[in-house]
Amino acid sequence: MELRGVDKRFTGTYALKAVSLAFEEGEIHALVGENGAGKSTMIKILTGAYERTGGEIRWRGDEVALATPHDAIALGINAVHQEVVLCRHLDVAANMFLGDERSGGGFLQKRRMRREAQRVLDDLGFHIDAGAMLGELTIGQQQLVATARAAMRGTRFLILDEPTGYLTRQETDQLFRLVRRLNADGVTIVYISHRMEEIFELSHRVSVLRDGVLIATHVTAETDERALIRDMVARSIEEVHYKEEVSQGETLLRVTDFSGPGFNDISLDVRKGEVVGLYGLVGAGRSEFVQCLFGRTRATGGTVEFKGKSVDIRRERQAIDLGIALVPESRRDQGLCLNLGVGFNLNAPIFDRLSRGPMMDAGAERRAAGGQIRDMRIVTASQGALAATLSGGNQQKIVIGKWLSHGADLFIFDEPTVGVDVGTKVEIYKLIAKLLHNGAGVILISSYLPEVRDLADRLHVFRAGRLVASYRPREVEQETILREAIGV
Amino acid sequence: MSEVAREVPGLPVPKSGARKRFAFLLSLTLLGLLLLLWVILAISTDSFATTGNFVNLMRQASLWTIIAIGQTFVIITAGIDLSVGAVVGLASTVVAMLLVAHVPIALACLITLAMGVAIGMFHGFAIVQMRLPPFITTLATLTALRGIGLLMTGGQTIAGFPRSFGAFSRGAVLGIPNLFWMVILVAIPAGLLLHQTRWGRHIYAAGSNPEAARLSGINVGRTIYLAYIISATLAAFAGILTASRIGIGVATTGDGWELQSIASSVIGGTSLFGAVGTVIGPVLGAILLTTINNGANLLNVNPFWQRVITGGLIIVIVYFDQRRRRRS
Repeated sequence: MELRGVDKRFTGTYALKAVSLAFEEGEIHALVGENGAGKSTMIKILTGAYERTGGEIRWRGDEVALATPHDAIALGINAVHQEVVLCRHLDVAANMFLGDERSGGGFLQKRRMRREAQRVLDDLGFHIDAGAMLGELTIGQQQLVATARAAMRGTRFLILDEPTGYLTRQETDQLFRLVRRLNADGVTIVYISHRMEEIFELSHRVSVLRDGVLIATHVTAETDERALIRDMVARSIEEVHYKEEVSQGETLLRVTDFSGPGFNDISLDVRKGEVVGLYGLVGAGRSEFVQCLFGRTRATGGTVEFKGKSVDIRRERQAIDLGIALVPESRRDQGLCLNLGVGFNLNAPIFDRLSRGPMMDAGAERRAAGGQIRDMRIVTASQGALAATLSGGNQQKIVIGKWLSHGADLFIFDEPTVGVDVGTKVEIYKLIAKLLHNGAGVILISSYLPEVRDLADRLHVFRAGRLVASYRPREVEQETILREAIGV
Repeated sequence: MSEVAREVPGLPVPKSGARKRFAFLLSLTLLGLLLLLWVILAISTDSFATTGNFVNLMRQASLWTIIAIGQTFVIITAGIDLSVGAVVGLASTVVAMLLVAHVPIALACLITLAMGVAIGMFHGFAIVQMRLPPFITTLATLTALRGIGLLMTGGQTIAGFPRSFGAFSRGAVLGIPNLFWMVILVAIPAGLLLHQTRWGRHIYAAGSNPEAARLSGINVGRTIYLAYIISATLAAFAGILTASRIGIGVATTGDGWELQSIASSVIGGTSLFGAVGTVIGPVLGAILLTTINNGANLLNVNPFWQRVITGGLIIVIVYFDQRRRRRS
């Protein structure tokens, strides 16, 4: 597959500009770039979701139109997206055969499909039941199903868009095995990820996009992480030591034998100026724990002390008023009102402060939102632009920014850097450092081990709803932590 | 909320050149269509552009406008209130029975409005505490409240109001019918509440993403209560006005008005998916629907055809309105 001078314009602005890039048959080609660099646009053009506005595309030497998704599928081009686009209310087998159902005499052969799907899954070493409802699987498992589905249908060219964002290490390994196997069978793979070590582990070549322009294509073995990041952001990232040592103050939060839906008997402390990391597999109870702490669900036992006082938090508002802020796991489902404005979202926790009596003060609203947009360097057309129109990184800045507008003593970040570009990631790390410097405490949930390991002063590992181990993270090996999380 | 302000039909969206003119035309859809209809009707009939007919049209539009405003609050929370027509009927019955029993007018109205509040609270309870879908909840009360009204009256008409009660709806101040003053009395506070207060912000947030709203400290449950109470109370108010207008209490009054109110709201740019809508929208929507009915009567269109035409127009108007929105 070869792209020659491919353009994509949206009402005057270029999303992709004169991109010429040849994917060689049978290679694993990584694609990197900040959010908004044009990666998604490129995928959409390759899969026929967007029609290019200029340039040509050649497939095995012949020019192809690639104007509709149907064209792409006919050529054997398939994509697996970060957000799984399958039917949650159908079982795994039905999803794998979706659009290509096995039938006899007009009737679905459900048992046959289930059998065949199970064989494929077993063959790949995925421990997934083909009869399970897709919606009951973890997001990671759903991602594996989506990939297996693509693998089944004679795919010659497979695009994986941020496939590991929600995967545990174990699931990532399974996915990589599948990718390597497909590749060995001659399938060309385009692999998009923000995670550098995955790119170096998996790919043969790597291309960097920035602002819709192809900056460079390297042979992966001949380049390094710093060079790639430099290409991506065009400003040399100084060796950021995200974390300065902050002297830790008094205990801010003390949780004792805390139980609730999805977790049991959790005891831990957070001090001022400290990052407490929570690591574990998806579903280990970390998010459930912080949601309960924040008053989203009701605790069933244990005590919580905040700033020296015993508290019983039953509502989110109560947590917020006490000085607790939660940046939730899913910014789309839990963090943002997507069809409302950027300013609206930023001000959501402080509407009462921006009003005189019940009436909103429009000037104060504009000033508050404007200040936060400036401080957080949120890229948006206006305060009224809908949150849905922003890139993932900028959306995440809104979700974090609204808590900076409000202020808090304890900040809980649940997977703050999933699906966020490198530049924003660094900004988030710096922001955490600044919060600590100002005397706040931080709880950081991350499935990305290098991240929690680097940032956390203390690291607690969750497994099956319980806190199973605690470390000074920089004093232990990653493998030790991982083994504890998996339970082997 | 510049976003909401921008969605007010009739406000031009600045664009450039010929595109600007087209966008301007599209943005005028509602107000423009309304004025266009008025001009056409004024030319093609002798009776449309008369004071008498205009006053009549305003009176007719008033009742639908009031319930459409309430409906809009509910739809912005991504809900629906199918019971408003039934509440109109029950309220007109209740106020009629109270008046016939010689309860003072003011007290009778207050009791009826309180009944509206209670119905709204029940909807809130069923949706928030019992977690029933709004569609089912209000479909059930639509059926049940009609039944209660019929039980109370035994299907009979209730007549014999004090004269001043009926005179109110026939009266006018400054040339504007009293009923239309009631629309102004409702629309201005409703507009302030929705667009200028923090409770209004909460309504939009709850309709856009209740989970995000909750995690931002917004009391979503209370917000939903508020929306349904407003809707049911305004429906009860419309019921009182209806009783005054027709001079009798009939339990079946307001049959099908829930659909008129939803149509008015949607024509006025409210999104059934929540978080998009204004107060001026349903006002224009209801006046437009009334104009269509009024005009069809004057043109001697078969009333059965009127229904078909109204249905078709709803589809056309909403289609063009959505295109306009996607453009801007």
